Amino acid sequence: MTSIATAGASVSEQHAAIAGARPWQRLVLLGIGLVVALGLPWFVYPPVAMDIAAWALFAVALDLLLGYCGLLSFGHAAFWGGSAYATGLIAIHLGVPFPVAVLGGALFAMVLAVPIGYLSVKRSGIYFAMVTLAFAQMLFFIANQASSLTGGENGLQGVPRSFFGIEAVETDSFFFYYAALPIILLGMWAAWRIVHSPFGRVLVAIRDNAPRARALGYDVERYKLIVFVLSAGLSGLAGGVFAVSHGFVALPELHWATSGEVVLMTVLGGIGTLWGGVIGAGLIVMLADYLASSGFDGIGIVTGTVFVTVVLLFRRGIWGTARHMWLSRRSS
Amino acid sequence: MNKRRTVATASMVMAGVLVTAGCGAGGPSAGGGDFTDDKVVLALLNDASGVYKDVSGPNSKIAIQMAIDDYQEKYGDEAVVDDIEVTSADHQNEPDIANTKAQELYDREGADVILDVPTSSAALAVATQAKNKKKLYMNVGAATTELTGAQCNKYTFHYAYDTWMLANGTGTVVTEDGGKNWQLIYPDYAFGQDMVKSFTGAIEAGGGKVAGTIATPFPNDNFATYITKAGAAKPQVIGTMHAGGDLINLVKQYNESGLKDQGIDLAVGLMFISDIHSLGVEAFEGTIFTDAWYWNLDEKSREWADRFMEETGDRPTYAHAGNYSAALQYLEAVQAAGTDDADKVVEELEGKKVEDMFLRNGEIRAEDHRVIHDVYLARVKGPADVKEDWDYEEIIKTIPAEEAFRPASESGCSM
Amino acid sequence: MNAVLQYTVQGLAAGSFYALAALGLAVIFGVLGVVNFAHGAFYMLGAVAAAVLLDTVGMSLWLALIVVPLLMLVFGMLVERLLVRWLLPLDPLYNLLLTFGLTLLLVDLVKRRYGVSGLPYERPSALDGRVQLAGVGLPVYQLFVIGVALLVCLGVWLLMTRTRVGMIVRAATERPELAGALGINVGRWVTPVFGFGVALAGLAGVLAAPFRAITAEMGSDFIIILFAVVVIGGLGSIVGAVVGGFLVGLVEAFGQAYAPTFAQVLIFVLMAVVVLARPAGLFGREEATA
Repeated sequence: MTSIATAGASVSEQHAAIAGARPWQRLVLLGIGLVVALGLPWFVYPPVAMDIAAWALFAVALDLLLGYCGLLSFGHAAFWGGSAYATGLIAIHLGVPFPVAVLGGALFAMVLAVPIGYLSVKRSGIYFAMVTLAFAQMLFFIANQASSLTGGENGLQGVPRSFFGIEAVETDSFFFYYAALPIILLGMWAAWRIVHSPFGRVLVAIRDNAPRARALGYDVERYKLIVFVLSAGLSGLAGGVFAVSHGFVALPELHWATSGEVVLMTVLGGIGTLWGGVIGAGLIVMLADYLASSGFDGIGIVTGTVFVTVVLLFRRGIWGTARHMWLSRRSS
Repeated sequence: MNKRRTVATASMVMAGVLVTAGCGAGGPSAGGGDFTDDKVVLALLNDASGVYKDVSGPNSKIAIQMAIDDYQEKYGDEAVVDDIEVTSADHQNEPDIANTKAQELYDREGADVILDVPTSSAALAVATQAKNKKKLYMNVGAATTELTGAQCNKYTFHYAYDTWMLANGTGTVVTEDGGKNWQLIYPDYAFGQDMVKSFTGAIEAGGGKVAGTIATPFPNDNFATYITKAGAAKPQVIGTMHAGGDLINLVKQYNESGLKDQGIDLAVGLMFISDIHSLGVEAFEGTIFTDAWYWNLDEKSREWADRFMEETGDRPTYAHAGNYSAALQYLEAVQAAGTDDADKVVEELEGKKVEDMFLRNGEIRAEDHRVIHDVYLARVKGPADVKEDWDYEEIIKTIPAEEAFRPASESGCSM
Repeated sequence: MNAVLQYTVQGLAAGSFYALAALGLAVIFGVLGVVNFAHGAFYMLGAVAAAVLLDTVGMSLWLALIVVPLLMLVFGMLVERLLVRWLLPLDPLYNLLLTFGLTLLLVDLVKRRYGVSGLPYERPSALDGRVQLAGVGLPVYQLFVIGVALLVCLGVWLLMTRTRVGMIVRAATERPELAGALGINVGRWVTPVFGFGVALAGLAGVLAAPFRAITAEMGSDFIIILFAVVVIGGLGSIVGAVVGGFLVGLVEAFGQAYAPTFAQVLIFVLMAVVVLARPAGLFGREEATA
C-alpha cells in the first residue's frame, strides 16, 4: 500500500522539485513568499493576518510529521493549545517580552510531546492517528478541570503583549504582526532546514520503507519520536503567537476539532509539500472569516465538501497539483 | 465596501503616504455632525450556528431591527440620526473568533455598539476589546457576573441575567417553599462553579442547606450515575446547573431514575424557553426555574411577541427581548446625547431608570453597569395546561428589581 | 452494595452504545481496512432518524429499532459505493480523512435542517418504570438496552461463526494474511459489510434516543470515546470491540461514582496503560494491527 505522502506526490517528484528547481526559481518563490508575508496586513485585517501566519506555521509543522514521516497526528491541538496556555501563563505571571513567552510555550509543547510521542510512535498509520487524538482529548479534559490555572471554560484572560515597552506593538495589531512575524518565519525556516538535512533524508527513507531503514541500522522509533517532538515545538511556536495575538487562551484550542482543522489545511494545501499548508491555512482562515460575517451558518458544509472533494479528486492538494503541472509541463 | 476602502488606502500608503491602513479609519468624519461616518451601526455578535443559536442567534438581528424601527417611528424627524444600520457576525461559540470579530466590527464595520455575545469566555474577551477600543458593549447572552464584577469596565453593560440572579431566584424561593435539603449537580467549569457558589449562598440565606455537591465533566452525556448518587443522599431537591444539550441529557436521565416518584424534585439553574420547546413540556413538567422575561407576561410583552412571531415564526426567548431592549435603550441614549460618541452615550446610560416591554422597573446601575429589572420565577406547565404553542410557563412569583440582582456593593467592580 | 448494582447497570447500559457502535467500527475496519471517522455521525443520524420518524409518521421505538438500521444500511452502502470505494486502494489514512470531512458535512446539514436545540423523543410506556432486584429499583429501559445489545452481539457472533459469509468476514478481519493466502475473495462483501457496520452505529443511535439529548453534536465526543474503545479492545478484534465497549462503559460509571471529575480522563488513562502494556490492544494481535 502506498504511504499517504507518496500517494500525494511521488518521491521522485519531490526530489525533482527539490533538486530540479533552479536556484533563481527558488529565489523567486522565496521572494514572492516574503512579499506576501510582509504585505499581508496591508490587505487583510491585521488580526486575521496574524491568524493566517500562525495557522500557516501550524500546518507546516503538521506536514513535517505527515508528509515527511507518514504519521497523521489527529492530536496536534495538544501542542498548539498546550503552548498557548504555557505562553499565556508565562506572559501573565513573569511579564517577559512576548517572544520569550512564546519560546517558553514552544519548549513546554516539546516536553509534552515526549511522553505522548513515546506512546504514540509505537503504532503507525491509523493507530497513530487515533492514539494521538485520544491523548489530546485527555489533555483537553485536564485543562478543563484545572480551572484555577487555566481559567477553565472562561479561558485564560488578559495575556499581555509585552514588547520592550514599545507601545505601538503592544496595542496595535498592525505593528504586532511585524513583531511576531520573525517568530513564524524562524519556525518555517527550521522546518525547511529539517527537511533538507541528512536527518530529513533518513525520515523520507523511513517513511517509504521502514523495515529497510531499520535493517540499515536506523532506530526508526527514535527518529519518529524526534520529528514528533520537533513538530510539536513548531506547533507550539504557532500556538504561542496565536495566544499573544488574541490576548487570551480558550479551551477550544485544545479540542480535537482544532487538530482536525489543521489537518484540513495541510491536506488542502498538499501533503508532503511543506509550503502547501501555508496556502491551506490562508484559504481556510479567510473562508471562516468571510462566512462568519456572511450570515451563512453552515461552515461545516463548505469545509466538509471541500475536504471530501480534495481527498477524492485532488489528493496532491493545491500546491502539489500546481507543482505537478509545472513539472510535467517542463519535462514534456 | 470597507474592503475596497482599505485596499485603496493601502495602495496609497504603498505609494509612500505615511498612514497606517487597516488599523481602523475611525475618527470623526469630515461631513461635520457628531456621528462617525454620519451613521450609527449596531453590531450583533453571537452564536449563529452552534448550541445557542435557538436561544438568541440570527433572530436577535430581527429583534434589533424592530428596536430601530420603533426608535424611528417614535422620533421621526426629531431623530438625531437617520442612518442606522445593523450588522451581525457569528462567533461560533469560539472565544478567539469572538475576539477577532469584535475588533473587526469596531474597526472596520464602524460598529458603535456590540450586542449579545453569549458564552462567558467570549463575552469576557469582547469586554476587553470594548475597553481597549473605548466603544460600547451591551452583553445580553452571557451568564458570568465577572462582566459586572472584577472584569467590569466603563464601556461594558450587562443585560438580562447572570448566575447570581438565577441562583437567587430559584434557590431562595424553592428553599422557602420547603425544599430545605439540597444536592447540587454541576458541570465542572467556571459557569457551573459560579452557579454552585451563588446557589449555596441563596439556599443558606433561605434557611436550607446544601448537603452535597457533585461535579460532572463538561460536556457530558451520561449523568445516570451522578443522579443515582445524588438521590442516594435522600435530598428534597436536586439542583442542576447544566445548560443546553447537557441539561436535556440530565433531565431525560432524571426522569428515567424514578427519583420524581420518590418525591425528590429537580430545580434547574438555567433554562430558556427554547429548551422546553425542543424537548417538550412532558419532560420538564413541574420544573422550577428563574426567567428574566416571558413572552406571555402581559399585554405589552405579548404584543411585542406577536410582532416577533410574524417576522420569525417563533416566540421570543428572553435573550431576543433583551437584545431588543438593549438596542432601544442605546438609541434612546444616543438621542439624548445627540452623538454616538461612546463616552457621552455612557454618561446618558449610567443611572438611568428605564421602562420598556422587557425592562420592568429597570435601572442601568451606574456603579457596575448591571442592568437591573424585575425577574420571574416560573414553573413548567403540564401538557394539559398548555393552551397554545409556546404556552409553557406559569409565572409563580415576581422578584422585584432591587432584590433580583447582586447588590452593587458586593460586585467588586471598580471602573 | 445497592449502589454498586445500580452503577453496574448504568455502566453496562452506556457500554451497550459503545459496544454496538464499536462492533460496527471493527467489522468495517476488518474488511475494508478503513477507520470510519463518521461513525459518530452515523450514530447521531440513527437517533435523529428515530426522532423524526416518531414526529412525522408516529413510528414507535419498536418499529424504529428495525427500520432505522435498515435505512442506515442502505445509506452506508451508498456512502461506500459513492465515496469510500475510490480510496480503498490507497493508504487507509485517506479514508479516515474522507470520513472526517463527511462528518463535518453531515453534522452541519442536520444542524441546519433540525436545529441545534435537540429533538424530543418519547419511548413506549411498556419500557417505563423499574424492576425491583435485591431491593434496588432498576430502570426497565436500561435493562432493555443491555438486553438488545447483548442479543445483537450474540447474533453477530453467530453470524460470524456459523455462516459462510461470517467466516469470510472473520477471516478477513482477524487473519487477513491467511484469507489472502487461501484466495478468499472478500471483494463483493465490501459494500454490504460497510452498510452493516453503519447500521450497527444507527441501531446504537436509536437505542440512545430516549436516553440522550438528540442533537447534531451528539456523535462528536462519542466518536473519540469509540476510538479509545477500539484501541483498548484491539482494532482488529470483534470480541475486543464488544468487551472494550462494555469495559469503557463500566469505567465511566464507576469513575463517575467514585472519582467524578476524572471520569472522562480515566478512559484515556486506561487506554494509555493498554497501549503501553499491550500495544495491540487487549484482544488484538500484533501482526494484524501494524
